[in-house]
Amino acid sequence: MYSFLSGLYKHLTRREAYYIVIIGLDNAGKTTLLERIKSIFLGVPGLPPERIAPTVGLNIGRIDIGGARINFQDLGGQTDLQSIWERYYRECHAIVFVVDSSDPERIEECKNALEKVILDDTVEGVPVLMLANKQDVPTALKLEEIKEIFNQIAERLGARDSRVLPISALEGSGVKDAVDWLFLRVQRNKVNRPPIIISQ
Amino acid sequence: MGSIFSRILGRLWGDKEVRILILGLDGAGKTTILYRLQVGEVVTTIPTIGFNVETVQYKNIKFQVWDLGGQTSIRPYWRCYYANTDAVIYVVDSVDRDRVSTAKEELMAMLEEDELKDASLLVFANKQDMQGAMSAAEVSDALGLSTLMNRQWSIYKTSAVKGEGLTEGLDWLINIMQK
Repeated sequence: MYSFLSGLYKHLTRREAYYIVIIGLDNAGKTTLLERIKSIFLGVPGLPPERIAPTVGLNIGRIDIGGARINFQDLGGQTDLQSIWERYYRECHAIVFVVDSSDPERIEECKNALEKVILDDTVEGVPVLMLANKQDVPTALKLEEIKEIFNQIAERLGARDSRVLPISALEGSGVKDAVDWLFLRVQRNKVNRPPIIISQ
Repeated sequence: MGSIFSRILGRLWGDKEVRILILGLDGAGKTTILYRLQVGEVVTTIPTIGFNVETVQYKNIKFQVWDLGGQTSIRPYWRCYYANTDAVIYVVDSVDRDRVSTAKEELMAMLEEDELKDASLLVFANKQDMQGAMSAAEVSDALGLSTLMNRQWSIYKTSAVKGEGLTEGLDWLINIMQK
């Protein structure tokens, strides 16, 4: 009887968990985005942007959405840390690539970094969301301009789901849409990358 | 009763007390870091047998910092201190390439402990003032930090004798703790 009940309890409390990595060059706004996601979905005040220091390592944010758990992994973007990204690819269900739209000089570097990501075999078929961040900056590149640049590598994306969305992590605009897009895509990609089942 | 009052007052003034363990192999510089943080000076240390414990006030957080001896024979006792730990500062001698694999084994064994399940990890790649020190990326690779999936971690290059990098690391910890 006990084992039946505990089995039932486990069955009722089991949930799907997804891992989503947040990458991009240093100073793209990855941690600010993570804090914004936390404040929107958890209702807790995130870390104020002026207090966010460059990440050297891993920050984690967990949110619950539609009965599932999503773990965001925000990885440091400095050049010598980019080798860490690959280690997190194997387990990830989607990739968010954050672009600093207010820094046109580094767009080429951005494109190269992203190209390296999507050519990695371990993430074949994994949905990729490019976020044109810092849209609150008046001089920022517009969505169309960012798209134009990334269209050059679009053919390398293969059959996977991908999209470019405008956001301002600082002000919060577009962030919810981005998370909704991701949640839908990781579910669609279930067969290719099954979620991890947790009981909680 | 007194403790309730002090806790409420602590809340009001944002004085939070967190429990931190400083761990790492012998000779990594744990005790030097502890006293650098506490008195802001380099003190002459001898190998720690047992532990040093000090309260360090940094910004509005009180760190109760436990510095545990790192020698092989006393590492098994680390686990006695794991309960209620908010974060672990793991100190690595960045010059000691021969023993970095031992440092990794001890770290990974420690992180498997249930009592440290929710503890954040701050790594100090120490002794950066010395020639031939490994970079932060090299140390994080050697320690296998990128295999950590469910734990917040961060690594900073430090020099305890020069006092570099320590406050940057603590700033990161404070940000994590205040959530």
